[in-house]
Amino acid sequence: MALIPSLKLSKSVWWAGILLVVGIYLFAQRPMPLVDGESAGRTIPVEKMFRIIAAENDAARGMYTKDIVGAGMKTGLEFSEKWREADVAAGPLPALFLREAATSIQKSRVPLGLFLGSDFPIAQSNNFVSTQAERFKMMRVSPKPQFFYAPDTKLQAAMFADFAVAPGCVTCHNEHPKSPKIDWKLGDMMGATTWSYPKDKVTLDEMVQIIAAYRGGVVDAYEAYLAKAAKFSKPPEVGDRWPKDGYFLPSKDVFVKEFERRASGNTINMLLQANRPPKLPG
Amino acid sequence: MNLWRKVKSMTHEGKLKAACYFFGTVVGLMGCVTVVMANWQHIYAKGPANTGHAKLNCIDCHVESAGTVRQQAQAKVRFWLGMRTADVEFGHAKVGNQQCDACHSRDQDSHPVHRFLEPRFKEARAELGVQLCLSCHREHTGVRSTLPETACSFCHKDLKLKVDPLDVPHHLLIEKNDWASCLGCHDYHNNHRRNVQKLVKEAYSPAVIKAYMDGGPSPYGTDKKYPTKEAK
Repeated sequence: MALIPSLKLSKSVWWAGILLVVGIYLFAQRPMPLVDGESAGRTIPVEKMFRIIAAENDAARGMYTKDIVGAGMKTGLEFSEKWREADVAAGPLPALFLREAATSIQKSRVPLGLFLGSDFPIAQSNNFVSTQAERFKMMRVSPKPQFFYAPDTKLQAAMFADFAVAPGCVTCHNEHPKSPKIDWKLGDMMGATTWSYPKDKVTLDEMVQIIAAYRGGVVDAYEAYLAKAAKFSKPPEVGDRWPKDGYFLPSKDVFVKEFERRASGNTINMLLQANRPPKLPG
Repeated sequence: MNLWRKVKSMTHEGKLKAACYFFGTVVGLMGCVTVVMANWQHIYAKGPANTGHAKLNCIDCHVESAGTVRQQAQAKVRFWLGMRTADVEFGHAKVGNQQCDACHSRDQDSHPVHRFLEPRFKEARAELGVQLCLSCHREHTGVRSTLPETACSFCHKDLKLKVDPLDVPHHLLIEKNDWASCLGCHDYHNNHRRNVQKLVKEAYSPAVIKAYMDGGPSPYGTDKKYPTKEAK
C-alpha cells in the first residue's frame, strides 16, 4: 500500500481498479466457460426416463428368461448361481444376468443404478428394507411403479415390479433350498427392480446415453455368457439358431438384433410421447 | 571472497536478513524441484502410500480438473451466483471410485461399491460410507484396508440361513457379536480362488486378518480371480 500515496491516486480509485481486474478475470467471456453439467435443450422428467429404461429392461430380461434360459433348459443348457466358477458348465440365471448388466452400466460414465430385490429373496442380502420395503408393500397392493428421492445419496429412485414371466422362474425359486417362499406361481410379482439417477430431469442427449449404456450392459452380460459357454466341455453351437431349436445359442449379433427389434419400437414411441411439442394457442 | 568480506561487514540485522533470504531461496528451490520431479512426489504426500500403491504417481489418482485455473474460477463464481448448475473443482478432482476402478475393476465382486447406492443400504452408507472405495481403503495410511472389524454388522446382523454350511451356525456367532471372525472365512470382495472354510476352527485368526489389513501377506492366497492392473 506504500505505492498508493506515491502515485497520488485515491484509495477508492485503487479499489475500483482492483475490482475491475477481478471482475474481468472472473466474468469476461474469454476463455470459453467450462461446460455446465446440464446442457440446454428439451428435457425429460426422470420418471419418464425410468419408465423408458424399465421397458427396455423388460424386453431384455423377458427375452433372456424365456428364449435363452427357459428354452435352453429343455435342450440341455444349464444355468446356475455359481456360473462364474471355472468348473461349473452353466450360464447366468436371469437375476444374475441382470446383475451382470448392472455392473457393466456402472463401468460406463452414465450414473444409472440398477438393482434387483424382493421381499422373499433367495439371497438375504437382496431383501428390501426401510423405504424400499414400504414402497414394495404398496406395490403388492397395486403393482404400479414407485418413484421417490433418496436424500442421503441425492439420487432419484424408481421401483418397477418384476414378474414371474417363465415357468423356469417359478420352479427354480420354489425348488431352491434357500428360498424362503416355495409357492410361487406364473405371473406372480416376485420382486422389483430399483433404478437410480442423480437428476430429476434428463436432456435428450443424456437419455440417448442412458439407453446406450443400458444396452451396452445387456450386450456385455450376454458376451460374458458366450465366453463362458465357449469353455464348456461340450460347447453349444453359436450362430443364427436359438435354444428352442436345440443345443444352440444365438451369436451376440443375433441376440442384439432380436433385442433391438423387441425394444426399439416401444422406446421410440415413449420418447416421442415425452417430447410432444406444445400445441399452438387457438 | 568479496562476498564473504561483504557479509562480515554487515550489521547483525543485515546478516539475519541475508540468512533469511538464503534459506528462503533454498527452501523455495527445493519446493520447485520437488514439484517438477515426479519421482520425488512422495515427499509431499500427506502420508505413506497404501499397500501396493508405492509405485503410483500422484496424478494416477489425483486427476487434473477440466479447464484452466481461470476457467475453473469463473465457473466456481458462476455456480455460487446460481448462473450454472454444476459446481467445479479447483486444480485436481476429488479422488473417487473411478480412479480405483481403473486398476481394480472386477466383473464379479461380492461387495461392489456401486451396489451400496441402493436406498436400503442407508445405515451402512451413513456409518461406513460403503459406497466409496476410500471409506475402507483410506489412502496415505500405509496399510491395505482401514475397514473396522464390526463393519459386517451393519448389513448382516439379521442374517438367517435356511441351510447353514458352517459347523457353528452363523446366527450363534452373530449372537456373540463375533464380527471379527467374519473375514476369517470370507474374503470381502471374494476375489481369491479358494474354498471357504466350513469349520470355525479352520478360520484365520483375527490377528492374521489384522496383519493382512495392515499390509501383511494374504491368508486367502495369491490366486486372484481378477488381478490388479498395472497403472499406466
